[in-house]
Amino acid sequence: MIEYLYTVEEPIAALSTPWGESAIAVIRTSGGNTLTLINRIFKPFMRRTGDAEPGNKVSPGKIRVSAKSKGSTLHYGKIIDSDSGEILDDVMLALYRAPASYTGEDSAEIFCHGSLAVITRILALLYKCGFRPAQAGEFTLRAFLNGKMDLTRAEAVNELIRSRSDKARALALNRLSGTIERKITEIKLRLVNFLSSVEVRLDYPDEDIEGEVVSEKECSSVENELKQLISSYETGRLFQEGVTAVLAGRTNAGKSTLFNLLLKEERSIVSRYHGTTRDYIEGNIVVAGIPVRVFDTAGLRKGGGPVEMEGVRRSNRVIKGADFILYLVDASFGLTEEDTDFIKSYSGSYGGKGKIIKVWNKIDLKSTGGVKAPDGFLPLSAETGTGLDKLVKRIEQTILHGTPVRPGEPVIDSIRQKELLDRTLDALRRFKRGLKRNDPLDAISVELQEAVHLLGEITGEVTSQDILNNIFSNFCVGK
Amino acid sequence: MDLDAIVIGGGHTGIEASLALSRLGFETLLITQNPDVIGKMSCNPAIGGLAKGNLVREIDALGGEMAKLIDATMIQFRILNKSKGPAVQAYRAQADKTAYSLLAKWTLEREKNLHVFQDTVVDLTTDSSGRRIQGVLTERGRIFKARTVVLTTGTFMESRIFIGEYSGPSGRLGEPAAIGLGKSLRRMGFDVGRLKTGTPARALRSSLIFERMTEQPGDDEMLPFSFSDSKVNRPNVPCYITYTTAETHRIIEENIDKSPLYGGKIVGVGPRYCPSIEDKVVRFPERQRHQIFVEPEGLSTEEVYLNGISSSLPEDVQEKFLKTVPGFEKIEIVRPGYAVEYDYLNPTQLYPSLETKRIKGLFVAGQTNGTSGYEEAAAQGLMAGINAGMFLQKKPPLILSRADAYIGVLIDDLVTLGTEEPYRLFTSRAEYRLALRHDTADLRLLEKGYTAGLKGDEEKQRLQEKIQNLDEIREILKKRKVHESDTAHLSALKHHPGKSFEQALRDPLIKMKDLTALDDELAKRRTKYLKYVELDIKYEGYIKRQKEQVKRFERMEKKRIPEDFNYALAAGLSAEAREKLTKIRPLSVGQASRIQGVRPADVAVLLVLLKKGV
Repeated sequence: MIEYLYTVEEPIAALSTPWGESAIAVIRTSGGNTLTLINRIFKPFMRRTGDAEPGNKVSPGKIRVSAKSKGSTLHYGKIIDSDSGEILDDVMLALYRAPASYTGEDSAEIFCHGSLAVITRILALLYKCGFRPAQAGEFTLRAFLNGKMDLTRAEAVNELIRSRSDKARALALNRLSGTIERKITEIKLRLVNFLSSVEVRLDYPDEDIEGEVVSEKECSSVENELKQLISSYETGRLFQEGVTAVLAGRTNAGKSTLFNLLLKEERSIVSRYHGTTRDYIEGNIVVAGIPVRVFDTAGLRKGGGPVEMEGVRRSNRVIKGADFILYLVDASFGLTEEDTDFIKSYSGSYGGKGKIIKVWNKIDLKSTGGVKAPDGFLPLSAETGTGLDKLVKRIEQTILHGTPVRPGEPVIDSIRQKELLDRTLDALRRFKRGLKRNDPLDAISVELQEAVHLLGEITGEVTSQDILNNIFSNFCVGK
Repeated sequence: MDLDAIVIGGGHTGIEASLALSRLGFETLLITQNPDVIGKMSCNPAIGGLAKGNLVREIDALGGEMAKLIDATMIQFRILNKSKGPAVQAYRAQADKTAYSLLAKWTLEREKNLHVFQDTVVDLTTDSSGRRIQGVLTERGRIFKARTVVLTTGTFMESRIFIGEYSGPSGRLGEPAAIGLGKSLRRMGFDVGRLKTGTPARALRSSLIFERMTEQPGDDEMLPFSFSDSKVNRPNVPCYITYTTAETHRIIEENIDKSPLYGGKIVGVGPRYCPSIEDKVVRFPERQRHQIFVEPEGLSTEEVYLNGISSSLPEDVQEKFLKTVPGFEKIEIVRPGYAVEYDYLNPTQLYPSLETKRIKGLFVAGQTNGTSGYEEAAAQGLMAGINAGMFLQKKPPLILSRADAYIGVLIDDLVTLGTEEPYRLFTSRAEYRLALRHDTADLRLLEKGYTAGLKGDEEKQRLQEKIQNLDEIREILKKRKVHESDTAHLSALKHHPGKSFEQALRDPLIKMKDLTALDDELAKRRTKYLKYVELDIKYEGYIKRQKEQVKRFERMEKKRIPEDFNYALAAGLSAEAREKLTKIRPLSVGQASRIQGVRPADVAVLLVLLKKGV
């Protein structure tokens, strides 16, 4: 849709570094009220109460990013989803004021940690709060339109935009697998039929057109199809990006032993002494075809030296970003208050994920003989491998829980598509609501048109001429 | 006589074009094949309808004549789509055809600077470069010179009429075609195509049995299309509805090979939105029946128009199938239905001002551009007239955008996309329909009509009063709070204690007229203004969303492309885009983006190149 494409000032956002795991990633935003929008999700740290303290004891500052903030400044702070209060990442934020920015507009760059999970979530948050995904070459185009580039570079930029948008289109087309394109086209066609049914009644008031405009059943059926496609994004994401799992538990609960068992290689330094793993170590395994990044973390223990505390602090951060946690309890030691506290605080709604697998480890030890695993705990010996099969099974269930994975079903895999489908669904719901409320047809038609346009951005634009063609081939009207 | 402008044709297009030019002070000659058929309604006896009714009011707001003509000659009035929403409500009136045509002719005759002359134009004359218009040559060998010419030939250029086996050179049944001009235009290099349209039979009223049909009365209240007419005082004559039967369909199917359409005689493309009964029966065999509207042709005639059943089957077949329709058993046909095929100019050869790209000073408007309908024709006539006037004054043309007016949608569609079938305006062609309500036409356009020189101070004053009234009503609604005592009169207000009337009005259960009854200040206001504010408030959410879309749209419209922009030198454009852009020569990036075959990447390249050029 062209008018979405190349309009200046509309706030846009996109990942500027390559899509992949890295130490640091840069997300660039630009547009009219960028600073106001950034303000909603960014809270700066003003002062730290001492580096030796655990990281979560940093008090947020009072001065926030606002429309009046100075440009060419760098800020340290956190990205927060203000709806849920969840902290997504600690980031550096660079602010630029028009015209002193790459695009010539107010602009902000977020330097975040380069995990795909973090990037995806920050982008999703930006889109939620008013940015839209930038199109290929759009930042450069704006820079050009705002006179940020000298004329000698014009041809180069011209070529760049040309090749990038063509390439992006080719990429987008490739990414649309045959099945998914058919699916979306099918949904679009049904919406076009809805729209025709509305429009024919508006433009031919004297004709006796029978039947309901759009039945609620039909509407719900399309709604469900959309929902299913949207939820398939999670599945697509799973297969593409995988999930992260964290081994947690008190020190010496056997996390590194399990880590090694899972990875079948000696990577962690395994010892019988508490606090051996001071930072986290990661490795990759594959469960049910889905890549799982497993993090082995420093044990949770109060006290210990400053180096170890830093390890614990880092562990905490990794834990917060994980898709699920394998929580180990040393059976020979039994369930401590620390364990129950941790389990309680994390089985709730942390990060909306709250998946925790509780493991009763070291059942091979004589000292644990006869003590039955408490309710909800999986008995395991990380040392001998007893119980590993069941654990892997449980991991699989946890990953796939709630995601509809059916072979042959189309799966969408770009956040842009998901975002467009989300907005389509919203528009369809507004249409349905308006229909139910008996709002006038010409008003609710605005919503249907929007839905059709949004899907058109994925599979190709529908013009008003297309709608008319559809009307004339399906309705016998005119005198 | 020293002429400034020549208008060829005296139909609905020529009327508006010649009036606009002469009212702007230019000596204007209107050449028609027959002054007695000025403003004749070739097809249905009605003005207005969906989107078309809005066109009529837009024409009025800009200073055109059509609204005034129909206000004075209507014999029935209805508001369509009352239940379907504010933006698609439309005025439609049945016209007394003869009265309409006579009033149109008289209006032209009385206009200062305007001269009506009977002749047939067979050729256009240009200066030696061939790129600038100089005048016209007529059938009788006369040459008229003028700096600008507006071509409004309707369906008459090289036209042929078809009824079954019969075919002959006519524009309307019994009226000769204009032969020669189409050929000349082809010779000058214009892209000329063939289109087809059709019309149903006219019958004698007294031969019909109305008891077997359903009466369709007009609204009790007749409202004027024109913003400057305050009321309409006209007779109110009903229409009637009946239906085709299985037998009707059988007869048509049996004789389908006798149709010139299906026999392959007609090459022109017909309108799908206005199909002949043959088309309906063939294309929708599952339909049990089709509606027919019996509409009066006027007060001084017994003829009625059979809307919905246009046909070019042989006359005996027409009579045979008509007799199977309830109420038509003893029908007496006065004029048979027929199809007409005619030359049209592909409108992508025009700028949005309706001036041809090929010849300076030559404007083309109306059915000649491939449209259909009186209203579409008149709208173009007015714009061509205004812009020919601007051309004479060396002023920039008046170009309405898709967000300004239905006229903007109509002309932009024509010059940007062209048309391969007779083009009719639909509300669904407008992206920003909520912004184009018929009751906002004066607010949207009157100022433009004033600037162009077609609207006077008095009308501008009236607009100011309207704006002030609307503001005041809005203010009252904002200030007035829902009192305890109000709820006694209107229980729906229970849910809105202490809120303003404006907020309460957003509740679908609460109507403006309920609130008017509760407040003396409101009660004093005019109903049409109250109605206007009510719609604005009730659909504020939707209107707001649309306004945002319009804003986005306008940014691209404002990026101008010079007329002489050289696409051949534009590196980076796709071959297809280059070809299309060279042909259409859009005036803005927005228009460029709507051309078929121009892709987003091409638009980006264009933006960059324009920036570079500046």
